[in-house]
Amino acid sequence: MNIGTRKILDRSFTAVGIGSIIVMALALMFVVVPIVTNGIGAVFFTGTVEHRKMLFNEFKRGDSQGLSSEVASSDRYRSKVYDMLTGFEAELETMAPEKKKEYKEKYAQVRSAVQALLGPLPGDSTPMLTRFKYGQTRWEKAEEKLHDLLYESKWDNSNPNVMSKEYFVSRAIGFEGTSLVKLFPYVKDNLEKMLLPDFTVYWGFITDSSVDSHFFGGIWPEIQGTFFLAIGAMLFAFPLGVVAAVYFTEYAKPGFLNSMLRSANSTLAGVPSIVFGMFGLAFFINTMKVSESKSVIAGALTLAIMILPTIIRAAEEAILAVPKTYREASLSLGSTKWNTIATVILPAALPGILTGAVISLGRAAGETAPIIFTAAVSVGSAIGLADVFSSPTPALSWNIYNLASEHEAASQIRHVQYGMVLALVSIVLLLNLSAIVLRARISKKLKG
Amino acid sequence: MAEESVGERNRTNTFVLSARKRTMQKAAKTAGEGVLFAVASFVAVIVLFIFYFVARDAVPFFQIRGFSEFFTSSNWYPASDPAEFGALAIIYGSLMVTLGSALIAVPMGVAAAICLSDILPFSIRQYAKPVIEMLAAIPSVAFGFFALVIFAPLMQNNGGPMLMWAWWILVSPFMLLAVIVISDLLTTKIKEQKRRQQLHIFFLIFFGFLSILLLFKVGTVLYGIQILTGTNALNVSIILSFMALPTIVSVSEDALQAVGRDLREGSYALGATRAETIIKTILPAASSGILAAVILGIMRALGETMVVWMASGNSSQIPEPWFNYLQAIRTLTATIAGDMGEADQVTGSARFHVLFAMGLLLLVISFISNLVSERIVVRQRKILSGQ
Repeated sequence: MNIGTRKILDRSFTAVGIGSIIVMALALMFVVVPIVTNGIGAVFFTGTVEHRKMLFNEFKRGDSQGLSSEVASSDRYRSKVYDMLTGFEAELETMAPEKKKEYKEKYAQVRSAVQALLGPLPGDSTPMLTRFKYGQTRWEKAEEKLHDLLYESKWDNSNPNVMSKEYFVSRAIGFEGTSLVKLFPYVKDNLEKMLLPDFTVYWGFITDSSVDSHFFGGIWPEIQGTFFLAIGAMLFAFPLGVVAAVYFTEYAKPGFLNSMLRSANSTLAGVPSIVFGMFGLAFFINTMKVSESKSVIAGALTLAIMILPTIIRAAEEAILAVPKTYREASLSLGSTKWNTIATVILPAALPGILTGAVISLGRAAGETAPIIFTAAVSVGSAIGLADVFSSPTPALSWNIYNLASEHEAASQIRHVQYGMVLALVSIVLLLNLSAIVLRARISKKLKG
Repeated sequence: MAEESVGERNRTNTFVLSARKRTMQKAAKTAGEGVLFAVASFVAVIVLFIFYFVARDAVPFFQIRGFSEFFTSSNWYPASDPAEFGALAIIYGSLMVTLGSALIAVPMGVAAAICLSDILPFSIRQYAKPVIEMLAAIPSVAFGFFALVIFAPLMQNNGGPMLMWAWWILVSPFMLLAVIVISDLLTTKIKEQKRRQQLHIFFLIFFGFLSILLLFKVGTVLYGIQILTGTNALNVSIILSFMALPTIVSVSEDALQAVGRDLREGSYALGATRAETIIKTILPAASSGILAAVILGIMRALGETMVVWMASGNSSQIPEPWFNYLQAIRTLTATIAGDMGEADQVTGSARFHVLFAMGLLLLVISFISNLVSERIVVRQRKILSGQ
């Protein structure tokens, strides 16, 4: 090969390496950016008067006078819509039978679309589910529902070789020649006055409980459950992990037994997370009976086993990083080995041990598989500290899965799902960032 | 213990005053070390317990149904009557996404590790490492949510164009490189300078034309593909490769760092370029460590639950044809997670025990690969640290 080609190969080899790091960074951005931008929308959004009504009725929040004046002004515009609907109902009665049948079906669709947009119509009975008691609380959702009202969606199946395509037909055309035709342009022009959109900052998303399986309200029970589980796991795993690390670094003598123990440690680190869940179910719940069925304590114990190897490894590294001179100085002053460990080595290694602990805390908060069978429920309110031994809890990680995959109206509450994912990701990443900062400070300190 | 105290008493003749104290101290020390050892061996006890309790609930399944159905049939109808528990398609699905993610993550991960250990200056490496750590820290359910809510619709709606662009961007640089290298290799034997140059240019144009033709042909074929469901094996493989990457990068970077400076400098001194040094000298020296990294990364992908549960489509069938990554599949982990809630735990039905059989399978695979990777790392350390 000539020199030129070799040079080109060398350069392109470098380019491949740098390219793959760039791809990793892009992958991180590709995942994190949509989660952050959409997740922020759970707290900062354009809320309608329906949102303020919901807050007042469900959480007793907001100023009642301002709200009632807003409701009055929006009702002024809404009443015309309701009048048009009742007018058309009267018109329906006077129509010829086959025409009446045709229009009745279309009218039912229009009526339910208006219901979805503005909430229950006057004269409707109060709905059972909270989600039907209010119109659209978010402006961007209201615009979607407006589109549903104005256009009927149809599917084009004419070409069997390609997937059928959706297309939209204006509903107004279907009501040509009746009194209802005026409704569509009226709603389109006056929607803002009917819903009074206003920029809203809803911190309650973090501190409120959910209403009607996450249609309204916030995610506090999930956040609290995540903290209970992660901190509970840490309470068990941290002392055990540090003591085991002290044994491995200070007392263990090389030999068969020691290498077995180390193998066990790395085996435990490699066990798939779902197997921890099965073990938690079979051991803690079915055999040890730490609780009747799923409970926070069973989940925390399962998570503790999962993060134990990480903590041991981090603590070992931190203890080994303590300079030898510290130890020698302490021993030469006549202190015993145990005294040296307790008063000199552990304090010096503490920041490093904490770094590992913080990263494990993040891992415990983010894991889902171990708590599926041991601690997580899909719907529930925040539990008190006294209930951790007996009752399961909702947790962010499990509820993200549940809302995205199993909720009956998953596509309608995307903003809640995004908000939850953002909450979880930011908890975990903040913990990790603080660990990174902590580590940087330690290495600076050790350098002197 | 008893013997020790006898020894103590003999010695105490010389230090009468502190006899009691010394015995106490010695006993406390032994007891303390015992406690430490007990805590340290706690981990080993847990590992044994995990094996025992998973196996305890897995064995009844094989007692009831035997081995052959589980491993050879792909009819998975646990809820019907009579129930069928053929897990072949599920095992195959697990292997499929694991292989797919390895195909993406291994070349990228090793390239990134080489870049981090040998190419980038320290100032840039400082910023690259946190990126990898962040990628490792993102919870799996967030990746699953991303795969289900963002990536799957994207794939379903623009599958063909996405595949075509991926093909173009990934393959065309390598194609260009191959053209240059091949035409160079074909002409090096020719002595006469002028003829060589002419032939070289001819080959460049000829192979360049061929490769562009190939790129276009395959590109148009890919463009025409319609992806029927976004929740498929390809989606899961891509997301799992994101999750396996950090493990592969950090472990193989350690392996590359363990190769000493002297090997590198020797190679440079012989006139090799950096790429040649890395490929011909450092990679072979670090190969076993990199193999261990690959095994660990693959295990991460095989044991992952949430992403495959949410975004693999959960349909237990072997794709048609068998390498079709654009179809929905189902994996062991997703089956365990999804079916446990429906299986009757109390009466000990086969439906409950079959899930533990799957868990045992995962556990055994992870145990073996862990042991193998550990042995590899130990052996490499021994070899590198002084023959």
